[in-house]
Amino acid sequence: MVDRANNLAQFSSALIERSAAANSAIAAIRLSENRHITGTLWRPDVVITSEQSLPERDEFELVIASGSTIKAKPAGRDPGTNITVLKLEQPSAAGTVVSAGGQVGALAIAFGADANGHATARLGVVNAVGPEWYSSHGGRIERKVLLDIDLARSEEGGPVFDAAGGFLGMSTFAPRRQVLVIPAATLERVVPVLLKQGRIAYGWLGVALRPVAVPEALAKTAGQSSGLMVMSLTEGGPAVDAGIVAGDIILSVDGASTRRFRNITARLGADSIGRKIDLQLIRGGAVTSRQVTITERPSS
Amino acid sequence: MTAALKVSADLRLRVALSAPDSLRRQALSKVLNDAGHIVVDMEDSADVVLADGDCDPSEKRPTVKLGDRDWVASGSLPRNASVDQIDAALRAVAVGLIVRSPVAKETGFIPLDESDSPELLTPREIDVLGAIMDGLTNKLIARQLDISLHTVKFHVESVFRKLGVRTRAEAVAKALESIQFKVIKF
Repeated sequence: MVDRANNLAQFSSALIERSAAANSAIAAIRLSENRHITGTLWRPDVVITSEQSLPERDEFELVIASGSTIKAKPAGRDPGTNITVLKLEQPSAAGTVVSAGGQVGALAIAFGADANGHATARLGVVNAVGPEWYSSHGGRIERKVLLDIDLARSEEGGPVFDAAGGFLGMSTFAPRRQVLVIPAATLERVVPVLLKQGRIAYGWLGVALRPVAVPEALAKTAGQSSGLMVMSLTEGGPAVDAGIVAGDIILSVDGASTRRFRNITARLGADSIGRKIDLQLIRGGAVTSRQVTITERPSS
Repeated sequence: MTAALKVSADLRLRVALSAPDSLRRQALSKVLNDAGHIVVDMEDSADVVLADGDCDPSEKRPTVKLGDRDWVASGSLPRNASVDQIDAALRAVAVGLIVRSPVAKETGFIPLDESDSPELLTPREIDVLGAIMDGLTNKLIARQLDISLHTVKFHVESVFRKLGVRTRAEAVAKALESIQFKVIKF
């Protein structure tokens, strides 16, 4: 007979062990007297956290499990992938981690920090996974990983591990407080760039677009029933230079329909800057096309 | 100072409106006027500021911001906040309170919206909706857009059907809350 009670005790002991080890992977980032969020120690001198929950400040105070307080300065922020990188004034003792992917149903342990920098733990499973996706700020996230775990506000930004101790990524809130993981693959791509350049470059067209239905008389010529109408253009932007005008209805970008915004966003990554793209559009009742040279999105 | 104002449902506020998108501006102006407020330009003296999207970080007047989270604005509502929420928030910040929306539907790290929807309006229908927001009658809309009254009625009917509304007031409220009127910058 299997000793079930003993299995459960072993499971619990393993979780206790993991939670103790997590003390060297987290930090409490103080926002005010009685409010903090969690940071994940990326390197001994680098902490990452959730961009959306960190106010704009020049300096933060971090509390780590040993009880010491370390000052840290933001080294880079990217709303696109929801990652902020903080550089610590003096290195802390970070453990090493091995990245993992995460499958539906796999156990997931999400750690946060309490106000004293000690680990807090949450246990659940990976609720859903999906392919790469784009955020509303235009950032590319390598995988969609959702957890069935509830987090306190103060626990956002902490590390998430699987049963084998593999690092799934950093926790953050999606709408309705669903907990989402910014996967390790995204962190590995974005964090080094943020450390080096302070920001992530995005491609830019300089247009403001609104989804519209293509007027019935034109739908056949256009080959689709919706498009994006140019509402305004940024003076001196690439779209103006290419002769795009307000009122144009953009149907496709490099042949990909604008019925999906991601078809545009996907073509405006950092590597797109300087490239040309073909816009197919409706102007004055006829379908025509223009070529736009992508430039870098201005920072403001 | 604004703290001297008293909270009251019949308080008329001077609201400086910052809304870069013309359709949203029309809708918000209509909503503010209907709530009894006076809409003024950003440069004019005002009790409160209503900013649709980005606002000037150096703004010193009490500000209600619609859209992305904001650490500075005294009032922060989701972009698709209801007419009543906007009115209540403006009255609250005018007397020095801080307003945050607990159910903020747009908080959290969100995926890109998708535009594909069977309810999308045509450019002409958007013109007509804008004119409705300006409070124009069908006859005046026909004159402004230089189309027949019959065509205007046809467009108005189509706008109402697509938005799922039955009155002009409902159309304005719906347009404010609907995601399809979002302008995306690339």
